[in-house]
Amino acid sequence: MSARTGSAPTISGSGLAPRRKRKRDAGIYYAMGLPAALIFAIFYFGPFILNLRYSLVKWDGITDSEFVGLGNFIKLVSDDDLFYKVLGNNLRFTFLVVIFQTLLSLVFAIFLVKNTKTNIALRTLYFFPTILSSVSVGIIWLFLYDPNFGAINLFFNKVGLESFALNWVGSEGSALNAIAFTQVWFHTGQMMVIYIAGLQQIPQELYEAAEVDGASKWQQFRFVTWPMAIPTTIVVMAYTTIQSFRAFDLIFTMTQGGPNNASSIFAVLIYQTVFSELRIGYAAAQSIFFVLVLVFVTVLQRRFLNTRYEK
Amino acid sequence: MILKFIKGFSLLLFALLILVPSLIVVFGASKTDAEVYNAPLSLPERWNLDNYRTLFESSNVGQSFLNSVIVTLASVFFTLLLASLCSFAISRMITVTGKVLFALFTIGLAIPGQVNIVPIFILFNDLGLTNKLSGLVLINVVTTLPISVFILTAFFRELPKEMFEVSAIDGASPLRIYRSIALPLSRPALGATAIFLFVITWNELLFPLLLITDPAKRTLPLSLISFRGEYFSSYSMIFTAVMVASIPMVAMYLFMQRSFIAGLTAGAVKG
Amino acid sequence: MVIALLFAISASVVPISQSLAAGERLGATCTTEGVFTGTKSTSLVCTKVGNRLAWQRVKLSSGGGVPVKNLTPPPGEIEFWHYRPEPGDQRAFVKIIADFEAKYPGTKIKQVFTDTTTFNNTARVRILQNPKAALIATSRGAIFNQYVTADMFADLSNQRYVKQNLIAKGLRAGQVDGKQVGIPYQYLFNNPIVNTELWKKEGWKEPKNLSGWVAWCKDAKAKGYTPLAWPGATLGQAAQISNSALMNSAGSYDELAKNLADLNTGKIDLTSTWFKGVADIYVKLRDAGCFPENATGVNEAAAYNLFATGKSPILPIGSFAMTSIVTLNPAMSGKMQLMSMILTDGKVVAEGIMNNTFILSVNKNSTSRDQKIANAFLSYLVTGPVAQIYANESIQHVNVLDVEYTNVNLLNTSSFQAKDTMLAPRFLLLNSSVSDLTQQALIAIVGGKSPDDVLPDFSKQIKQKLS
Repeated sequence: MSARTGSAPTISGSGLAPRRKRKRDAGIYYAMGLPAALIFAIFYFGPFILNLRYSLVKWDGITDSEFVGLGNFIKLVSDDDLFYKVLGNNLRFTFLVVIFQTLLSLVFAIFLVKNTKTNIALRTLYFFPTILSSVSVGIIWLFLYDPNFGAINLFFNKVGLESFALNWVGSEGSALNAIAFTQVWFHTGQMMVIYIAGLQQIPQELYEAAEVDGASKWQQFRFVTWPMAIPTTIVVMAYTTIQSFRAFDLIFTMTQGGPNNASSIFAVLIYQTVFSELRIGYAAAQSIFFVLVLVFVTVLQRRFLNTRYEK
Repeated sequence: MILKFIKGFSLLLFALLILVPSLIVVFGASKTDAEVYNAPLSLPERWNLDNYRTLFESSNVGQSFLNSVIVTLASVFFTLLLASLCSFAISRMITVTGKVLFALFTIGLAIPGQVNIVPIFILFNDLGLTNKLSGLVLINVVTTLPISVFILTAFFRELPKEMFEVSAIDGASPLRIYRSIALPLSRPALGATAIFLFVITWNELLFPLLLITDPAKRTLPLSLISFRGEYFSSYSMIFTAVMVASIPMVAMYLFMQRSFIAGLTAGAVKG
Repeated sequence: MVIALLFAISASVVPISQSLAAGERLGATCTTEGVFTGTKSTSLVCTKVGNRLAWQRVKLSSGGGVPVKNLTPPPGEIEFWHYRPEPGDQRAFVKIIADFEAKYPGTKIKQVFTDTTTFNNTARVRILQNPKAALIATSRGAIFNQYVTADMFADLSNQRYVKQNLIAKGLRAGQVDGKQVGIPYQYLFNNPIVNTELWKKEGWKEPKNLSGWVAWCKDAKAKGYTPLAWPGATLGQAAQISNSALMNSAGSYDELAKNLADLNTGKIDLTSTWFKGVADIYVKLRDAGCFPENATGVNEAAAYNLFATGKSPILPIGSFAMTSIVTLNPAMSGKMQLMSMILTDGKVVAEGIMNNTFILSVNKNSTSRDQKIANAFLSYLVTGPVAQIYANESIQHVNVLDVEYTNVNLLNTSSFQAKDTMLAPRFLLLNSSVSDLTQQALIAIVGGKSPDDVLPDFSKQIKQKLS
C-alpha cells in the first residue's frame, strides 16, 4: 500500500531515440499535462489570488468596494471574539478527531488484522459509514442525539444511567464533542482498513522472534507493531486532519455551528460571513487565516511524527 | 482473559453503533411519525413503501437523483481523463516540469478547495456557471484533480519503465503508449480512483450549496437538506429521503466491497 | 360551524378590517367575540351587541374601493423565491401557479424555495446575482430591511390592486419612506398555540400575568407535561416567544420601539435596565420549569412532536405552525387555539402579537418584462379567490380582501384579531446580527447561564459586529 512517490522519474526513450523524436515527445508530454494543469491553475490558484485581493477590501458585493489595506486582518486578530472562538473550536475538533480516530482505528485494526471470516465481515461493517454522505450521517445522528426522542438518551434512561442522558448537540459544552464523535464514527472504518493494510505487511517473523524472547502482548505491540505502524500513522493522521477541516458538511447539517457558535469551525464561519453578513472582504481574510492554520497544524504534525519516527 | 473480553466487547459495541442507527433509518422509512418517535428501535408495524411514494410524488427527488448521477458520472470521467493524462506525463517527464506540476497538485492536496468558497462563488457567478450542472462538474474536477493525480502518478511511477521504453524505441508516440499500454495496465488504479471519486462526488454538499439554487438542478445531498427544511417535523419522511440518497452507494458497496475498500483506502493512503 | 372555544375574550376592540361573511347567519348568537369568517363583504364577525354576542357585518377598509382583477402578464418565465416550504404552502402555490399558467399560456412561474433559516441566510446574496428572481418573499424586520437597504425592490405604490385588494392596516409592514415596496401577504399571530383538549382536561385557566404563568408552569410540570414545547435549537422559532416577553417590557409601544431601535444601533446594549428586565422574564420562566428538559437541544421537529403528541400543552410559536401539527397528528385539527401570553406583573401594553409578513416584492434588478410578469402574478395572488386557496390550504390568515375562511383552525384562531395585539416587536431589530445575537443570549439564559455573564458577553459580540 505504500506509495513510492519519491522514486525518480524515468527518462523518456532513455536517449536511444533520435533527438528529434525526444523533442517531439517532450512537446506531447507537455500537451498531455496541460489541460489538467490549466484548469487547476485557473480554478484553484486563480481564486486563491482573488482571495488575497478581496481580503484587502471592505465589500458587501453590492456597493463599490473600499480598500482597507490590512484592516480586515487587524480587526480579525484584535477585535473579534468569535474568530478566536472558532479558531479554538477548529483546533479542538481536529485534535479530538485525530486522536480518537487514529487510536480507535489502530485498536480495531489490531483486533481484526487476521483474515478470518468474522473479521472480514466486521471490517465490511465498520467501513460501511464511509460510503454515506455527510448529510445523511448528520441527519441520522441528530436524531440519535435528540435529548427527548433520541435513541441515545432513551437508552441511558432505560438502563438507569440518567446522568449520561445529556443535551448532546444542544448545549455549548458538548455540541462540538458530540459532532467530533460522529465524525469519528463516520471515518474510523476507513482508517482501520488503512492500518490493516499496513499491519499485514509486518513480517510475521518479528512477532515470532519476540515471542521466543518472551515478550508480553504489550511489549510486542510496543516494540514491534507500533514502530512498524508509524509510517501508516503518519498517513492516517495527515488524512484525518484534512478530513476534520473539511467537516463543513457534517456541521452544517447538524447544527449550522450552534448553539452560540459552540460548534462552528472555519468553513462554517466563512460561509456565514459571506451569506448572512455579506462581508466578502472579511470572509476572505478569514479564509487566509484558515489556510495559515491548516499549514501550521500540518507542519507541526509532520514534525512531531517524523522526529518520533527517526528515533 | 480480560483482554479478550475487552476486545469482544469493544468490537460488538462498535458493530452495534453502526447497525442500530442504520436500522433506525431502514425501519423508520416504513413507519409513521408517531412510530418513529415513540419506538425508534422497533420494527415497523407493517412494511410498506408509502413514504417512498409520497416522497417521489411530493418532491422532485427523482430529478435530484438524475442530477446526481449526471454530475457524478461526468465529474469522475473528466477527472480521470485529465488526471491520467497528466499523471502519465508527470511520470514520464525528466525535466523539472514534472516535479513542478506534481508539486502544484500537492499544494491542492494539503489545502482543500473550501478555503476558496468566497472567490469561487463570485467567479462562478460572473462566468454564469451557477445553477448549471456543468459548473458543478467543473468545480468537482478541480477539487478532485490533486488526489487523482497523486494516486495515478504514484501508480505510473511504479510501473516497470522497460515496458514504455520498448514501445518508445519502436517509434510509438507518447499518446499511443498512453492509450495502448499505460491505460490498460492502470485499470486497477483507475478503478480504485474512480470509486473514491464516485463516493466523494456523490456525497458532496458544499459546492452544490454554494452554486445551485434552482430546485431543478439540485443534487441529492442538497435536496436532502432542503427536504429536511420542508418536512422538518417528519422524521419518517426524512429517513425515507436518506434511504433514497444512500441506496445506490449501499447497493454498489454490497456488490463490490473489495473494490470499494481498496478504492477508498487508496484515496487516503496516497493522500 | 365555529366550534365552541375555551377562552372568553375580554377585549372589546372590534376587528379592524373585518367584514362579515358566509356560513353564519347575520344576527344569530355566537360564542367567541372576534371570530370572523373571512374578509368578504358578506363575511361575519362575532361582536358584542348590547350584552350578547352576535354575528355582524363589519365594513372592510381597503382604502381604495372595490377589489380589482389581476393584471395580464407578458409571456416569459420568472422565478418566485420564498421561504415557506411547508407542505400546505407547497400545495397551495403549486395549484395557484398551475391555474395562472393555464390562464396565461407562455408565462411560467418557477418556485424556488428553501427553509426559512437557509433562506434568511443566503437568499439575498443569491438574488443579487440572479435577476430571474423577479418575485421575492421576505419576512418582516431584519430580512426585509436587508433587501431594502440594498435597494432591490420596485415601488408598487401606484398599483391599483395594492390600494384596493388589501387590508389597509396590514400594508404598513411593506412601506418604506412612504413607498409601498412590498405586499405583506399573511396576517399571522406569533402567539402560543394551545391544545384545548388538554387544557380542558386539566382544568387550567389562561394565566393572566407573569406570576400566573410561573404558577401554571409549575403545575403543568408537576403533572408530567413539558409546559412549553420551545425549540431552543432552532433560533428563528425559539425567538417567537421573545415577542411575548418584549410586548409588555416597556411602558408603551413607542418606548419599546425606541429601546429596540437603540439596541439595533448600539446606543444601548443588552446590559441596559430594560433588557435586563426582559432577561429576567426568561429566568423566571426557566426556574419555574416552563421550558423542556435540555431546552437548547430541542429542535423544531422535536418541539412540534412534543405538542402534537400531547406531551406539551403549549407550542409557543404561532398560528402558522398549525398546518404542520395537523400533518403530524390529524386528530389535532380543531383542538388548537391561540392564547395571550402576558409576561408582566405590571402594566399591560398589549395582549398578543400579530405580524404582517411574507412580504412579496418585485425585484428592481429584473428585466422590465420579468418585472411585469412578477407584478401580474403578484396582482393575481392578492385577488380574493386566489388568496382564499392559499389561506385555507396553508392555514394562514391573509391580508387580502374578499377571502372566506373555511378551515376550522383558521376560524378558531381568528378571534385573536379582536384582541389588543401588537405588531411583533422582535422584528424591529433590523440588523440581523444584533437580532440573532440578542436571541442567542436569551437562549443561553434558558440553557442555564446567568444573565450576569450572558448579557455582557453578548453585548460585546454585538459591539464587534456593529463596528
